[in-house]
Order: sequence, then structure tokens, then C-alpha cells
Amino acid sequence: MTTTSHHDAPLGPGVSGSSDDPRVALDRDLGVFEPVPPYPPRTEREAEFYTLADGQLLINMGPQHPSTHGVLRVVLKLDGERVVDLDPVLGYLHRGVEKLCENADYHHVISQVDPLEYVSSLFNEWAPVMAFEQLLDVQVPRRAEYIRVLSGELNRIASHSLFLGWMALDLGGLTPILWSFIERDEIVELLASLTGQRMLFNYFRIGGVNGDLNHDFMSRLGDWMGRATEQIDAGMSLLNENEIFVRRMRDLGTIDTAQALRMCFSGPNLRATGVPFDVRRAHPYSVYPELDFDIPTRAEGDSLARYLLRMDEVRQSLRIIDQCLHQMPDGPIMAKVPRLLRPRPGRAYAAVEAPRGQYATYAISDGTHQPFRMRIHDPSFIHLQAVGPLMEGHLIADTMAIMASLDPIMGGVDK
Amino acid sequence: MDRALKARLESRFGDDLRGPVRQRHDQTEIRIGPGAVTQVLASLHDEPSFRFEFLADLAGVDTGEVMQVVYHLWSDTTPDWLRVIADGLSRDDPRVPSVTFLWKGAEWMEREAYDMFGITFEGNRDLRRIYMPPDYTSFPLRKDFFLPDDAARSPGAGVRPMERTHAPRNAPATATVRRSGA
Repeated sequence: MTTTSHHDAPLGPGVSGSSDDPRVALDRDLGVFEPVPPYPPRTEREAEFYTLADGQLLINMGPQHPSTHGVLRVVLKLDGERVVDLDPVLGYLHRGVEKLCENADYHHVISQVDPLEYVSSLFNEWAPVMAFEQLLDVQVPRRAEYIRVLSGELNRIASHSLFLGWMALDLGGLTPILWSFIERDEIVELLASLTGQRMLFNYFRIGGVNGDLNHDFMSRLGDWMGRATEQIDAGMSLLNENEIFVRRMRDLGTIDTAQALRMCFSGPNLRATGVPFDVRRAHPYSVYPELDFDIPTRAEGDSLARYLLRMDEVRQSLRIIDQCLHQMPDGPIMAKVPRLLRPRPGRAYAAVEAPRGQYATYAISDGTHQPFRMRIHDPSFIHLQAVGPLMEGHLIADTMAIMASLDPIMGGVDK
Repeated sequence: MDRALKARLESRFGDDLRGPVRQRHDQTEIRIGPGAVTQVLASLHDEPSFRFEFLADLAGVDTGEVMQVVYHLWSDTTPDWLRVIADGLSRDDPRVPSVTFLWKGAEWMEREAYDMFGITFEGNRDLRRIYMPPDYTSFPLRKDFFLPDDAARSPGAGVRPMERTHAPRNAPATATVRRSGA
């Protein structure tokens, strides 16, 4: 006689399934993702990936894994504890921002793009705003440009200090994230007093910024600048002098210059291979040509270099903020821009140096009040696809370390 | 605007260009046919007078009449962004050669363009959907794909079911597709 558990017992005839009946509510397959897709391979690469050699197995990491920085599923192909290959599965956060932008008017786009890279929202706004200004031939007042640079660099420091914490957290160190959140929270509160929001600022406008510097912001900023260097150095010394951290990060996920260019890297990940490519200098925008700062590079191209490079950048950002405060001109913060914008038909491309690399917008206008096409180029998306090539031969635990050192934000990857 | 770049492009790629080299703000724009993509981009990438080694962006565009693939390139030989538009892809079966032989990082950008516009990149080893589920049949960024609340531009019956818009030949002739003048 076979026994069946009550889960498997069929509902009798005439028994309606109510929502509090455990036999109905229990769907054990819900949220379970088979690593092998239930259809034949569609491409050469997929066929290769899902063909297992002797002793290999596939496992899922995600979509709810804490160290994937969002909702990402990575299918790992393992040989023992070594990762042979991996296949990231995206789309869990996809919300079609580009399509939404094409159906919003030019001013609305700013609020649509805010939640993409949600830890550096000001840069998400900056690129489209610059592209639209080109379409409209609007000249932004200098004070507005300085305020943009000032708030942008603050946002960069907030983003990098969060990176520091995440990086350590993914390696198993709990303390740095608590410290870096102190740092980040101060900056976020600073920006909140300027923009009115902690994360999704919605602050830049086509032709300027939404509000002028206020007393609250300036006094907090002065207060913070006085101890910023010290505080950041203290946070970094936790990791820089930690032998376990340094040994673990060195020679992990190394990429050379030629390969980084082939992978379309930009930002800190490219500069960590020795290429001094920074959009702020390579293709100057805003008032960056008037400001004095260095572009740190490192030659090693490993995870440690990527980490240290971001920390060098924080110091440069502090220099830029200091200069902005000294050189800030008086004047208007908005150009005269009509409420309803109808740019002449044309195309514009604008790129900014976001904390993660080149963040760009390609906008096409057809003369109506909505962008005809709005392409958003996100550096996280580009960097995430390098995790596979960087991973080969490393251990499972290093997947997270390498991914963290590339610093992708899934909100931006999935758009 | 880099006038010298314009002259160099005209003298090097004269026959491949469709239309004049356009310049506006800090951008230089050339248009080529899909057949010339491999050769023109390889030349721009390799030749010492161009050295466009950095692929800044790859985007698909649906103008409502044709499909385009737009490449943005950066080089230290010019202060401009170079925009290369592969123009005139048919909307029924848009095909263009892949540039993954120059930039492996273009693989996902091409997958995205395939996912959103249905553009086939010949030579891309991994051309499958990237954002939308694998059993999805539409191409959401095409101009004949209307949002559910976008009834204003839909044909008389109001909202068309999204899933039926995937093939342009199925689209009713009354659909008012937005077309670009750019």
C-alpha cells in the first residue's frame, strides 16, 4: 500500500479551493528557478554553457542572493569548488525606462531616470539633462554648473563609500559597512537639505538646477568638510591595513588594458588597468576644465587596484568640492526655458563620468514634446558582463568578491 | 566641432558614406549602410590616424520607417564623439553584422538591441533575449508597440493587445506609428 502525504492528495469533487486551505496555498515550485532552462539552447554560447563535461554541475546564485547587489541570478558552472563559467540572467528589475521616457515629456524624463543607479542618482539625471540642453541649445548659467559639480561630487563620495562597505561585506567583514554608512548618511542628509530627497533627488532641471544653495546645506557642508578627510581615512585604514583583506583581493579578477578596452570598460574599472580615461578630462563637460584635479590610475588591474582607485578618487572629489566652494559665482541657477519643450528635430549624445564609469544618454528629437528615442547607456551593465571572463578558475566565494569590485548596481543594469 | 575629422572621414570613407558628414555641438555623425559596418568600424578602430578604440555606446533605433544601429566612438585623436549610424535596415528583417570581433563588450549591448528591436546581429555568439523572458514574442521599443495606457495613438479600437504587435506585417494599416524627422 502506498502512502501519500496530505500535500499530494487531490481535492475532492465539489471541494472549492479557498485561499486558507493549505493544499491550495502551497505551491512548492513557486520562486524556484531551474538552472537549466526548459527549452533547447537558442545560441551557440548557450549550447556550450549548458553542456556539462564530466564532474561539472550547474547551480543558481540568486535571484535572492544577498551579495548580488539587487535581483540578479547567476548560473554557475562548477567543477568541484572552482567556477568554470557563469551565465548571468538579467531582467528581474527591468521596468522599461527607455520606453517610459519616450512616452513622457522632456521634464518628466528626469524623474523616470532617477531610480536607475539609485546610489548615484544625480549622474542619472545629469546625462539626459545635458543631452536635452544640446537639443534645445540652452546655455546653462555658470552658478548652476558649479552647483551640479558640487552636488555630483558629493554624490560620488557617497557612492564610493557605500562601495567600500559592500566590498568588505561581500568578503565577510561586517564592520566597514557600518562605518561607511555613517559617512554616506551624512552626505545623503547634506544632499537632502539641498534637494529635498535622500536618494532620488530629482534635482537637475533642463537649463539649471531646482534650488539654490541654502544656509542649512552650507553650514552642514562646512561642518562635514572639516572632518571628511579624517573620517574617510579612518574608514579606509580598517581595510587597507587588514592583511586578510589585502591578500584576498590581490591578483583576484585581473584584467589587462587591452582586454578592458575590448570589454568596453570605463570609469574606475578601466583606470585600474592603467588607462587615464575619465570623461571629465577626455571629453570635458560642465565646468570641469576650470577645476584642478588629478586622474588616479593603477597598473595592476586586479580587485585590490579597483578598490584602492576608488578611494583615491574620493580624495580628488574632496579637492573638487573645495574648489567649487571657493570659485562659486553669483547669478541665476536656471536658464530661461519654456514649460513645454519642443526641440527641433535632431540627435544628441551626452556622457558624464558617473562613479561607475561613463554614463551616457543618446536622445533623438522629432520636434514633439516627447523624446523620440532615449537611449540610456549604463556602465554597470557593461561591467557585469565581464564577471564571466574574470571568474574563470576562481573559487565560488570569489564570484562575489569580483562582482563587488566591479561595483554594478542592478537598478542600472536592468533599466 | 572638429573640422579636420570631417575632412579625414570624407577622404577615407567617401564611397561608404550615405549623405554628408554632419556636425553639431561636440558630435560628428556619419551614416553608412549595414553592409559597410564591419569594414568601416574595423578601419576606425585599427588605423593609426583614427584609433577609435573606445566604444562608448551601441543603440538600436526604430525611426518608424527603417531600423538603425547607432555606434558612439571615442578617440584621443579628436575632441568629438563620433556617431556612426548604420542606416536603412528593413523593419521586417533588420540585419547588421556584429562588432563583437572588435569589442567583446558589445555582446550584451547587441543582445539588448535584439531584445528591444528584434535586430539580428550576425556573428554575435549569444544573441538571445536579455531583459524580457525567453518566451516573449514582442519587441517593446519598436514604434508599433504601444503602451497599454497609450490609447491616444492606437488605432480606433483603442488599445491593441501588446502580444500581437510583434511582427510589423501584422500591424493594421491604420496604426499611427510615430516617425522621426531626424
